[in-house]
Amino acid sequence: MESALSATFEILNFGAIMVLVVLGLGIIAGMMGIFNFAHGEFVLLGAYATYLVYSFGLPVWLGMLGAPLVVGAIGFVLERLVIRHFYAAPIVAMLGTYALGLIIRESVRSLIGGLYITVPEPIVGSLTVGDVQLSRWRFAIVVITTAVVLASYLLLTRTSLGLRVRAAIENPSLARASGISTNALYAITFTFGAALAGLAGALVVPVFSLSADLGVRFLIEGFLAIMLGGIGSFEGSMAGAAVVGVLSAALPWVVAPALADVLIFVIAIVFVKFKPRGLIAERRT
Amino acid sequence: MLEDYLTIFVTRVLILALLALSFDLIWGYSGIMSFGQALFFGAAGYGVALVARDLGVASIFVVLPAALAMGLVLSLALGAFLLLGRHPPTTIFIALGTLTGSYVADRLARSWYYLGGQNGIPSLPPMTAGGYEFAEGRLYYYLAFSVLAIVYLVCRFVVRSQFGLALAGARDRETRILFFGYQAQKLKLTVFSLSGAIAGLAGGLYAFHDGFVGPNMVGVVLSTQIVLYALLGGVGTLIGPVIGVVVTESAGFWLADSFPKIWPIILGLLLLVVTLFWPTGLIGLVVSEQERIGSFGRSSLPPRHADTGVSNGTA
Repeated sequence: MESALSATFEILNFGAIMVLVVLGLGIIAGMMGIFNFAHGEFVLLGAYATYLVYSFGLPVWLGMLGAPLVVGAIGFVLERLVIRHFYAAPIVAMLGTYALGLIIRESVRSLIGGLYITVPEPIVGSLTVGDVQLSRWRFAIVVITTAVVLASYLLLTRTSLGLRVRAAIENPSLARASGISTNALYAITFTFGAALAGLAGALVVPVFSLSADLGVRFLIEGFLAIMLGGIGSFEGSMAGAAVVGVLSAALPWVVAPALADVLIFVIAIVFVKFKPRGLIAERRT
Repeated sequence: MLEDYLTIFVTRVLILALLALSFDLIWGYSGIMSFGQALFFGAAGYGVALVARDLGVASIFVVLPAALAMGLVLSLALGAFLLLGRHPPTTIFIALGTLTGSYVADRLARSWYYLGGQNGIPSLPPMTAGGYEFAEGRLYYYLAFSVLAIVYLVCRFVVRSQFGLALAGARDRETRILFFGYQAQKLKLTVFSLSGAIAGLAGGLYAFHDGFVGPNMVGVVLSTQIVLYALLGGVGTLIGPVIGVVVTESAGFWLADSFPKIWPIILGLLLLVVTLFWPTGLIGLVVSEQERIGSFGRSSLPPRHADTGVSNGTA
């Protein structure tokens, strides 16, 4: 009973982290048609910013608040300087963002060396449910993720900005003809996506500890999640992320961990092959 | 002593050039983005390493054909899965599919005890031909050089044949090639497996040159590194990727000593510059656009720099 409960919690927790990472990736891919290979490094930057604030002796939660702002600002600058050259050229975008990611990753590596740095949890201690100890901070991650996803969903469906964003996803040229500046929207979207990645990095750094390769594993799983869910649909991306996150946390309980890792990727890619429009297909026209 | 060291270094560069060539054959000439070229390279390397370790066979007449065949079979299987089917695959799907393949192989190699796990398979016997042994050094250098030269000539023949022109056509405007009655997906699968075979051959050479195979040989890092080299040298040409590997590896050889931390960052910046402003790469300095495969006379279309970055190919 206890192990089942803690396993469920573990799975839920990892699913939440995956959702948080994929949210930004999916919004950028759906909106701009750009598969941002630097997304994992935005996560890394968020983690690094948090660590930096902490290393100055300031409280960790302050770093976590600051990380999305910093990474969002970096994202904005990069969008203006680099990313805007990549619209309508998905392959060049892949290579270009990969280059960006490489630059960021290696810069961070040269700053921290090959170390694994631990950052303490801002909320320590654990909740006791029955006989099981659940980490308060991991619980907080699930709560924050839920709040962020809900807020993003409301932003997208209930506000006029969201309406314009959806218009630009659905039909960019018609949106432009209707007087919506898709250029400005793309800048906002990219900034927002980068900020979400920064938040994800800030939240998970106490769980995974900081190393230069922190973002790499999230990247491929994130892309598979988006393709699994269907590019351009909010619900799809979230469902895909939940499936990938839950699978990658649950499978090691069932089969050998090394095999589980491989199996997730194989399942995901086979599914995408035969259902190229993803889990939730009816929104695509 | 330094001369020996240089010989070994140059041999390794030649083998990597072979891998970059195999990447460019499918990206530069056929528009298939493979982010997993190291998969075929490394899998064939592991394959021949197992042949040498478990069967005790290291004859060049077995090892190199075996590496070629392993690369071919593996890329044929992966290519058939990714490329064929009712829905023509998107470029993103192929890129992610190959990337995933390489990542999965890396994880598998790291955790599978039979393959030596993190440590890989060390101390392979030297490759033999009759009484001769190909140890690191001058003889191996000649071997690698001849293989590269032969493969280069084969590729040159392929891309200039009817088949190669049809591929270039499918790269630039697939529907038109379909209307001509070509089965574009099958053309692509053919060239994908040819490229996999070349990568496999390179992997076999690399394994016996180093006397060692490890998980890094199949991984994402090598896969993306090869993409980078080819782009820097100039894709869409056969000599471009070779030049790219030679230039970057040589620069890395000198710079990595003095600036080990900054070198990967410089590499990233270079790649960014190439993708943004300089899609022809280094080769664009030397070869004119006129020589591009699949374009005779002047194109009536404006150059599509923003589209794929490969439309500036030359041969």
